[in-house]
Amino acid sequence: MNDPILRIRKYERDRVNFVLENVDMAFANSLRRVMMADLPTVAIDIVEIQANTTVLPDEFISHRLGMIPLVSSNCDVAMRYTRDCNCFENCAFCSIILVLNVKCHDSTTMDVTSNHLEVVPHEDQGMEEAGEEQVKRIEKFGSPVGKNEPGVEPILICKIRKGQELKLKCIVKKGIAKEHAKWSPCSAVSFEYDPHNKLRHTSYWFETDERAEWPLGENAAEEEAPREGEPFDFNAKPSKFYFDVETDGSLGAQEVVMKVRIIVSFLSF
Amino acid sequence: MPDSERSKRQPTFDTLEREKLFKFPPKQGSSYKILNEFVAPHIESFNALFDDSGLPSGDGKGKGLLSLGLDDMGERVIFDGTGQTAGTWGNRMRIWIESVSISRPMVPDKNKYVKDRKVFPAEARERLASYRGKMSIKLCWTDPQGQRQDVTRDCGLVPIMVRSVRCNLRSMSSADMVKHHEEAEEFGGYFVINGNERLIRYLILPRRNHVISLLRPSFTNRGPSYTQYAVQIRCVRPDQTSCTNTLHYLSNGSAMFRFSWRKQEYVIPIMLILKALVGASDKEIFEGIMMQDYDNTFLTGRVELLLRSYKQFTMRTGEQALEYLGDKFRVVLGMADDMSNSAIGALLIRKLILVHIENPREKYRMLLFMLRKLYSVVNGTCCADNPDSPQHQEVLLPGQLYGMIIKERLEEILNSIRTFINIDIRNGNTVDFNDKRYFAKVLTRINFDIGSKLSNFLATGNLVSPSGLDLQQASGFTIVAEKLNWQRYISHFRCIHRGAFFAELKTTTVRKLLPEAWGFLCPVHTPDGSPCGLLNHLARTCRIVTAPLAVAHIPALLAKHGMSEPFNACIDGRTNLCVQLDGHVIGWATPAVARQLATSLRIWKTEGKNEIPMDLEIGMVPPSMGGQYPGLFLFSSRSRMMRPVKYLANGRDDSIGPFEQVYMDIACTPEEIESEVSTHVEHNPTNFLSILANLTPFSDFNQSPRNIYQCQMGKQTMGTPSTALKHRTDNKLYRLQSGQSPVVRPALHNTYAMDAFPNGTNAIVALRKSGEPTLHFGLGPEIKPHAKGEKRDSCLDFLDLDGLPYIGTKLRSGDPIAAYVDDVTRRTKFVKYKGDEEALVDEVRLLGEDTGDVELQKIHITLRITRSPVIGDKFSSRHGQKGVCSQKWPAVDMPFSESGMQPDVIINPHAFPSRMTIGMLVESMAGKAGAMHGLAQDATPFKAVEAAGYNYYGNEPMYSGITGEEFAADIYLGVVYYQRLRHMVLDKFQVRTTGPVDPVTRQPVKGRKRAGGIRFGEMERDALIAHGTSYLLQDRLMNCSDYSTAWDISLGEVFTGTSISRKPTGPGGEYCRICRAAAEQEDELERQALATGQHLQRPQASLSVAISSQNVLGRSLKGGDLDVVAVPYVFRYLCAELASMGIAVSLEIQ
Ligand SMILES: [Zn+2]
Repeated sequence: MNDPILRIRKYERDRVNFVLENVDMAFANSLRRVMMADLPTVAIDIVEIQANTTVLPDEFISHRLGMIPLVSSNCDVAMRYTRDCNCFENCAFCSIILVLNVKCHDSTTMDVTSNHLEVVPHEDQGMEEAGEEQVKRIEKFGSPVGKNEPGVEPILICKIRKGQELKLKCIVKKGIAKEHAKWSPCSAVSFEYDPHNKLRHTSYWFETDERAEWPLGENAAEEEAPREGEPFDFNAKPSKFYFDVETDGSLGAQEVVMKVRIIVSFLSF
Repeated sequence: MPDSERSKRQPTFDTLEREKLFKFPPKQGSSYKILNEFVAPHIESFNALFDDSGLPSGDGKGKGLLSLGLDDMGERVIFDGTGQTAGTWGNRMRIWIESVSISRPMVPDKNKYVKDRKVFPAEARERLASYRGKMSIKLCWTDPQGQRQDVTRDCGLVPIMVRSVRCNLRSMSSADMVKHHEEAEEFGGYFVINGNERLIRYLILPRRNHVISLLRPSFTNRGPSYTQYAVQIRCVRPDQTSCTNTLHYLSNGSAMFRFSWRKQEYVIPIMLILKALVGASDKEIFEGIMMQDYDNTFLTGRVELLLRSYKQFTMRTGEQALEYLGDKFRVVLGMADDMSNSAIGALLIRKLILVHIENPREKYRMLLFMLRKLYSVVNGTCCADNPDSPQHQEVLLPGQLYGMIIKERLEEILNSIRTFINIDIRNGNTVDFNDKRYFAKVLTRINFDIGSKLSNFLATGNLVSPSGLDLQQASGFTIVAEKLNWQRYISHFRCIHRGAFFAELKTTTVRKLLPEAWGFLCPVHTPDGSPCGLLNHLARTCRIVTAPLAVAHIPALLAKHGMSEPFNACIDGRTNLCVQLDGHVIGWATPAVARQLATSLRIWKTEGKNEIPMDLEIGMVPPSMGGQYPGLFLFSSRSRMMRPVKYLANGRDDSIGPFEQVYMDIACTPEEIESEVSTHVEHNPTNFLSILANLTPFSDFNQSPRNIYQCQMGKQTMGTPSTALKHRTDNKLYRLQSGQSPVVRPALHNTYAMDAFPNGTNAIVALRKSGEPTLHFGLGPEIKPHAKGEKRDSCLDFLDLDGLPYIGTKLRSGDPIAAYVDDVTRRTKFVKYKGDEEALVDEVRLLGEDTGDVELQKIHITLRITRSPVIGDKFSSRHGQKGVCSQKWPAVDMPFSESGMQPDVIINPHAFPSRMTIGMLVESMAGKAGAMHGLAQDATPFKAVEAAGYNYYGNEPMYSGITGEEFAADIYLGVVYYQRLRHMVLDKFQVRTTGPVDPVTRQPVKGRKRAGGIRFGEMERDALIAHGTSYLLQDRLMNCSDYSTAWDISLGEVFTGTSISRKPTGPGGEYCRICRAAAEQEDELERQALATGQHLQRPQASLSVAISSQNVLGRSLKGGDLDVVAVPYVFRYLCAELASMGIAVSLEIQ
């Protein structure tokens, strides 16, 4: 088999569309699965609520906080898992602290959003010098994705009225989506092969005309259409896979693919 | 799609509008007016009790039902029994109740500090109290000089219907309502009793003031010569109390008139009543019944027999008949002693015979009509009416029942005053009518507390009544308005019950769905199971008339247009039809004239001419060969069901009732109109469905029972029960945190504020063969049960210094919820949390006394339990497709489509062929298109489906999440609105290995609450035997049940019985007392035998049971002859029982 080829067709900050050639299906699918569930990111894991006079109960707010994507670039080296760390509970190496302290003083309804979450230094930080992990973190590491960026809508946590208050401390930890979906960097991964169904893995159900009822997708242009009366090659295997990866911003699209490449090569070779 | 087209589309999600209404509830009126309309019969019938009801006065003077009841009740007369010598009765006293008043709920006067004395329903709910207002009556009496005296008596606190004319929320706007901790859409119609919302359910009753013919074989059991034929009329007095009169046909040609008085039945020959009413001569009666139909030999024969039967009574005049009746009923009626017999006779006729008519002459005419109808049924010229048909039914409204109970209680007060005075006279106590203090003393002995009686009635639904109120049941009148979700809640106010009596009937005829019910009772919305067909729901547009109508001018109007007057003596009964208005004979007309009159009336009423009210029901029954008895029957009374349709003759809106609907041709859609045949057309083809049935999307595509199931499941869904959750104190409240507005919705979804109370989630559904139903994150709910406790003072870790828990505290089983100091022992006591699940403290309420003068008598703590979906929870779509979550999969393992879409739910396609819920397929299709385009999809039944995306079947190639391989078949993927039902495994699972056992048998106890087991019975045992799973059998029936061990005498008998010659002992020196004693005895005997040389015989046991060697545990190694054997404890128990009867059980152990 030839060397694998990865051809990026479209690239945006949080989205990448690429074609992977000369790999077998198991490889391509494990790539997909790893992107979805095995890439470490950081997410809010423990919430200490100091004051909550909003209409939403504590655990509901905590659940919403956990789902907020946080900047996790370089997470695999910039952060330790708490379970691997030699600290007692959590420390600057294995956690980040976010605080939120909002009170509404106006008579209009106020939105509490991810923009209100602030990274604060660990209490024990500074006592010992910054470890190698901290050095590898980028500036925004651990803060909500797109915070205070123009054109990015912040994520709504809850709405408060005059006199209501929300004050809490979040402990951010590293994890993977196998543990909880909040650690997944991908919101969706689309995956396709054999757009012409030459391999006959599937059989299209149709009423009168298969071609008319099953319009070809855009990936069909990448492959040659089967010729009329072409014999069926039952030994053929899929080798060209079309991916479209959309991330939630915690990891950039490029990072996701690069990390996956490393992890998969690590696993398979 | 261009924006202009997008904005025109209906329905829309109305997100902004809804949010605006929620943030700023209207300061005038309410957000959703229609919600107030559908409970109107509840509230208006309650309002009708009062003189200031705000209802139109109709023909009357606008008096409330309570005042009318007082008029009907009249006065009681008592004599003090002095001067009995000359046949006089002594001093005469009249007592009566002059007025009744019920006030709005107020803080008691005891409380001196309160600024606003008004009490609002939210307070009653939160304090678990009742929402009640003070009732008082003005009691009047006369002293011997005839001077009127009066006294005002308190009758306790009467529950008040929320949003009625006596409620403090009356006419409040949505904004005010929210200020008073109510729902913005609060519509009332219920009572608050001990914090529960209870309402009086509608009940079906026979149509009032209309004669129906009955054919019941059971009538023949009433006595000799009774036949199966009868006619019946349920007559209603102005105060809405009723009295049913039945006229039985006897095989000798005459008829018996039956009525009941205080649950006792009485029968009077009809001739006696006819004579007593107007003193009619025999000829007059003959002509009145015959109506010139002299050729009808059947009729002449019967009338002759009827007249002849009266000859045994030797009364000629009406006066004599009255006196006779009065004499017979003097004791039964219990009226004043000084009334003459004829006065009592007249009273009997006024109070119990055709009570809807005042005038005796009119009563006489009505009785003749009843006789004619009776003979006609017997003759076969007309058929028997079906009492199960809505044509002959009306509704018992909550307010009317409430009024009847109050009236009867007031009557009881008058009667008991008389009884007490009579007892005093009989006992020789001093009875002085001149002494005010004596009367006051009598009053102290009377129970005036009507309020507690009514509270009790509402809390239990049990009717305690000496007369039975002419109803067929004594319990089951009230129900709790459960706020499980919005659909269930609003359904309570539209449900209508056939009557508890019918629930026990073995026949199913009463449950039948009759075509007459079309448009009035929903054919879909009824529970399955025992109440099926008995508990119905009103169709969406069905109204119940609650206002009295002005119809006094109608007889004159009809007479002007060709109707003959009723007193006209030479009417030919063969060619004339009777014209009746609310059970009064108002005239006669030929069929052609009658038809003309009916048409004119309909045109007048639809066009608002001649002051004919819209709610007049014009029942023109044409002459037929053996059909319904013909006539023109007009109804203007209350409690009738009516519904709007369009009248084709003039294109106006018409309001029709179930009586007249039978003779109409109503087209469902304008396309169905047939010229010369159709008279009306429906405003909307879905109007015949109830609110809930209307909410099932594309229900016209489904197999009908599935729509019935959805009506049930919609009501069991965990949704959004209320928006005033902070102020709810329900025992259990289920709340869905992630409710969504359905993409696919009928137009009515918006009309009934359904989006304000979301009930489910739009789920991506894949149909996949061999796929297990799967759910992953999304449908996460919450429950709130409650706990109650008493409190004073304490301190602890997660309790504050006041002994109350911090809000948000996490509780595990056994943690303290509250602490207080016991006044007696001076020790701190703790109230523990007993649940098994982790709970959070949501709310703490400190409650004072009802009187408002003592504070902090109770604390009330709301707990919150979170429950994300787990395997075993029940879900359903809106098409009666329920199912249990059988597996949860990680996202990566789920199949996905080419676009990366993963289903939330995978259901097996086998769910469709047998259930035929095509509507669900259409919904998922429309949902997919709607989700793709961001549009709400109209799913109104009977509408042409024009949703986008129908050029393509919705199938998509899918890939296995595990291998990445494309599935061999393309898979259908769509969006379906899913409901999570309240039945959750966490409430239902029942497992045990060991646990509590029954003290007698030592077998596991039953019941989930007591950690008991599920019975593993004989049939289950058979199944395991058949499977050959003997180890499991051993485990279930022995090890996990009543395993016990016993000592066994090796190769001998256990427990009882005789022994062999050895003296067995166990390893620890245990021995068998019986054996040892027997052995010693035997030793002794043997020694004697040896001495005497005799041979001895041992007694033999008759029954022997084999115990396999497997069950013999460790044979002792240390020597000794006793072994331990495993025995079910019940067997030991059985042996003991048998031993107590002198039966020895002997066992053979191998
Ligand atoms: Zn650490």
